[in-house]
Formats: sequence, structure tokens, C-alpha cells
Amino acid sequence: MSKGYTLNELLIITCAKEIKDYENVILGVGLPTTAGALAKALYAPHATLMMESGIIDFEPLIPLNHIADAHSCRGFSCATDLFSAFTMTYRGFVDVCFLGVGQIDKYGNLNTTCIGDYYKPTLRLPGSGGAADFISYAKRTVLTLRGGEFVEKLDYFTSPGYLDGGDSRDRSGLFPKGSGPAMLLTTKGVFRFDDETKELYLAQIHPGVTVEDITKEIPWDLKVSPDLEETLPPSDREIDFVRRFAPTESVGRALTMELSIKATLNRSASNDTR
Amino acid sequence: MANNNENKMMSAEEAIRRFVNDGDELIIGNYTVGTCIELVYEICRQEKKGFTLYSQSGILDVDILINAGCVDRLVTTYALRSGGKNGGGALERALQAGTVEIEDYTNYNYNARLVAGMHGFSFMQVFEGIMATDLFKKRSFMGDDKYRVITCPYTGKKVVTVPAANPDVCIVHVPRADKYGNAQYWGSMGSVAAASLCSKKIILSCEEIVEHDVIQSSPHFTIIPAYRVNAVVEVPWGAHPTEVLGYYNRDRSFYGMFMAANASAEGAKKWMDEWVFGCEDRKAYLEHYVERFGMAPLNKIRARAFYSAPANYGSAFTSVWDETGREQTMGITLDEMETILKERGLLYE
Repeated sequence: MSKGYTLNELLIITCAKEIKDYENVILGVGLPTTAGALAKALYAPHATLMMESGIIDFEPLIPLNHIADAHSCRGFSCATDLFSAFTMTYRGFVDVCFLGVGQIDKYGNLNTTCIGDYYKPTLRLPGSGGAADFISYAKRTVLTLRGGEFVEKLDYFTSPGYLDGGDSRDRSGLFPKGSGPAMLLTTKGVFRFDDETKELYLAQIHPGVTVEDITKEIPWDLKVSPDLEETLPPSDREIDFVRRFAPTESVGRALTMELSIKATLNRSASNDTR
Repeated sequence: MANNNENKMMSAEEAIRRFVNDGDELIIGNYTVGTCIELVYEICRQEKKGFTLYSQSGILDVDILINAGCVDRLVTTYALRSGGKNGGGALERALQAGTVEIEDYTNYNYNARLVAGMHGFSFMQVFEGIMATDLFKKRSFMGDDKYRVITCPYTGKKVVTVPAANPDVCIVHVPRADKYGNAQYWGSMGSVAAASLCSKKIILSCEEIVEHDVIQSSPHFTIIPAYRVNAVVEVPWGAHPTEVLGYYNRDRSFYGMFMAANASAEGAKKWMDEWVFGCEDRKAYLEHYVERFGMAPLNKIRARAFYSAPANYGSAFTSVWDETGREQTMGITLDEMETILKERGLLYE
């Protein structure tokens, strides 16, 4: 029986297991950077961790603030530029990349640009950044969805998944054969893409979640794997790593905020008495 | 005059006044880290306007310039916004009000425009997958010129292209430079060199000015040669609250303060009045910061040392004349050489 873990810890650890030893990995902002550090430390010591800003083969020191964060590396082996980071991806040297999701449709196409009309948006999201480039040419892409949503039709088509499903991505001739999203991780479960139809289906469910909890957030008739599994609880070793390396991620954004405000107030109170 | 290798040091006020004009295409040289914040603030203070702004990854820079009313058009790939559905930001407000037009690219596509511009090409090939997306299909002020598709003369395949960008002026912050403008940068290279070198004019700010000898012994760090640079501004803490490798880390709580304020128009205005318009230069800004928060938060984010291993630029000889004054190949002194030349009748007299 392992020790207790937080939902964030479960997500990071599940994500990390998608990285195999000896792979070339592009890490995205947030959860994946900690997943990358965990994989490098525990399962994939020969993985080459990379950031799109041109930081190649870095050793994580602390959690990254963003994808150009040399401050958070113990060191790195090659400082190339952004242009070369993308052309190496186009040439097929990136095995796996990680992307966050704003909106996703049933074929894994993504929107991270806006909610509502593009020209007069209700919400302006950050934009593509490198997302459309990476999901196009990395051998496979791991998607993470936390604040985002499942939709029938994207408000804006930022990044190509399996287009209209079936073999449409391969048939378009625009992408390397067999590339595309491999997995979607949400706070409730793990989804994968059907080999034939390329429609996403529920493959794993996190402990304490029901299928109904998941289907009610999805506007189409979600397919569920006949071999639906429960996400494996993390080991003590994995939990310990995440907790020491990225304690604020273990704790989560809201509680971190609460505690940091309290700490700031305590600090200024003690300054006042001096 | 082919170049202008003289002392180009001046204040941020002078640099922006002399080299930035209303209606310019203005490009932010930095990518995500070490952003040229003091130069951005000075542009706001001088109330420059009508820019077509290029920023690869808009963090504080884009929202601050929009808050100050400097921007008509924006070309970008990513613009950070205060979190969640209840958040917001200057760009979102401007799009909703119709005061700013935006052209969205991917990181690679945007950068390809700069790389084409930097090398003098008229366009750059980009990856064909973009044709499946709305980035390709939905266009704003660039219209047909956002992307054009041509046929590769070698393979016969369809090739997507983007036009070169050659903005009027680049503002960029680097760790160190000499007074002539040789700019050195290390860490996350991003698109800093391309954004700078594709531009017609370059305004450089740096954490510190170093001797020209330092540059000459470490040319591998130089990303912008002096002959391209118009102005050099020495501004310690010039990127605060963003980070500069080897100098300071990001000031996370101050950064968070801006993000929180920027979620509403009122909050943003108050913040701009206090930190941008209320401080005449970076020195006044730092004094105001210390007045508000003390030195402790700044001391806490100062970088500790982790030096790059030096590379040996030495060679076996520093002269073709050996220690006895003889030329190494011919084995003669300068006097002997001149005598021989005269004897052989090789000198025109």
C-alpha cells in the first residue's frame, strides 16, 4: 500500500510514463516539465530533454517557469536557436512532445487561440506558440487537459490532430505517416485514439472517478474501452520525487496561492516588529 | 560610411526619441526571457503610437504597449493572459474593442519570417501541415500575404511560404555588450539574433557594459555585431521583473502583481500609472520598488555564479617574426629582406 498522493501527483506521474528511455522529448509549459524531470530521474535516464527555445539535453534543477527557462537547468549540452529546434522536429528527430489543451474535438484537433469569434473573441487564449508545429511533426504527442473542454466543433482550429478521423491525417500528405496525438490526460482519466477511426476513447479512469463523471462533460457519445483500466496509483518513490522536486505542483495552484499569501503576510509582520 | 563603430552609449530616453517613430514596425528582440522592459516603458512614456508590433511570445511587453495605446497591429504566436475564465488582459480587451488587429502565426512560422528577413531573402519555406489549420485559413491585415503556396522547382511539391519581415526598429535587452554595440547573449537563444538582425535599426540595452577585449576573447557569445547597432543603453535590472541568466531570476511575486492588475482595465491603468508613467527612468523605478518592498526581494533573486568553462582562443604564434627578429619561413631579418629585394632589382625607386 503506497502513501497518499494528490491528483496533481497522479497526473504528473501518469504523464511521465509516456516517456521512454533514449527518446528525444520536447517539454511544454507546466505539468509536462515536471513529468520530464521525473522520467529522466526514474525511468528514462538516457532521454534527451529539450525546449523549443533551443535548450537541448538539459538537466532539470527546479521546475521550469516556461519553455525558455535556462535558469531552471543544472546545465545543458547545446544552445541552439528556435528556428533549428523546429527544423529538427520537421526532420523527424523528436519522438514525443507534450501540449496543453483549450478545446479538443473527438479527433484530437486542438484550439488554444480563442473562445468565440476569432476577430472579436469572448476569451483570447495564448495562441499557438509552437503547438501546431510540434503536433504536426513530432512522432507522437501527449495532450494534457485541465481547464479546457471537449467540443463538437472547435471555435478556432489551432493544431492538427487526426483532422476528420480515419486515415485523413495520413492521406492529407501534410504530416509524417503515423504521427499525431497518442494520448490525452485529463483530471479524470486517460484517453487514447482508435487505430482505425482515430476517434478518442476512454482507456483509463482515475481512482474515485466514474464513467458517468466523464461522459457528462463530453458532447458526443464517448466510446469506452472494453478493457477499461483504473490508472495505477503511483509508487512511494514517484511521489517522493515529485514532492521534493516540485512541491508547489504537488500542492496545486489554489492551495499554493493561499499558503504563499499567508507566508508573505507572516514575513511582513515579522519585519514590522524589528 | 559602411559602419558606425563609435561609442553609441546613450540614455534610454535619447535612444527611443532618436530611433523610434510613430507608425513604425517595431519588434521585440527578446523571446520569453530577459525582455527589454525598460525600453518598452520608455516607449510608453514618450507616447509613441501607431505601431505594428512584432513579438514572438508576448509576455509583459505586448500587454504593456497595448495598455499604453501604442499598438494598432500585432503579429505574434503567443500572448500571455491572466489565468482562467475570470481573468483577462490588454490584448483581449483591445480585440474586443476593435482597437488592435492581430495576425497569429505558429512559433516556427513567425520565426521563419525573421530568418528570411535577416538573410535578405524575400520569403521562407514553412511546414506544409499549417494548411490544415485556421492559422492558414483565417487572415487579418496581411490578407493573402500571410501565407502563399508555391510549387517547389526541384520536387514539384506544394510549398507553403511566409514573407520576410524587416521591421523598422528592434528593441532588445542582452546581458552584456561593449560601448560600440557588440552584444553578447547566452542561455535560451530563442529568436533573439533573428529578431535583431532582420531589423533596419537596433536599440540595445544591457545589464552591463564590458571592455571591448572581453568581447574579442569570447566572440562565440556575440549575437549582434556592433556595425548593425544604433544605440547602446546600459540599464542594470533593465529586464526586471523578467529574468536575465547570470544576473537575476524572475521576480515572481511582482510579475504576479502585474498579471493580477492587468486582468481589468482599471487595474492595468493604476499599475501603468505607478510603475511606467510614474517613474521617469529605471533608476526611479528601482528606487520606487525599494521604497515599496525593500531590497530583500531583489537580493533574493540575484544570480549565484556558475561560470562557463573558458575556451582557449590561443595559437602558437603571435607574430611571423621569431624571438631573434627573423621571419619564420624565410629565416631572415627585415633589414636582410630589404637588402635582398634591392639587390634583385625588385623595388621601384
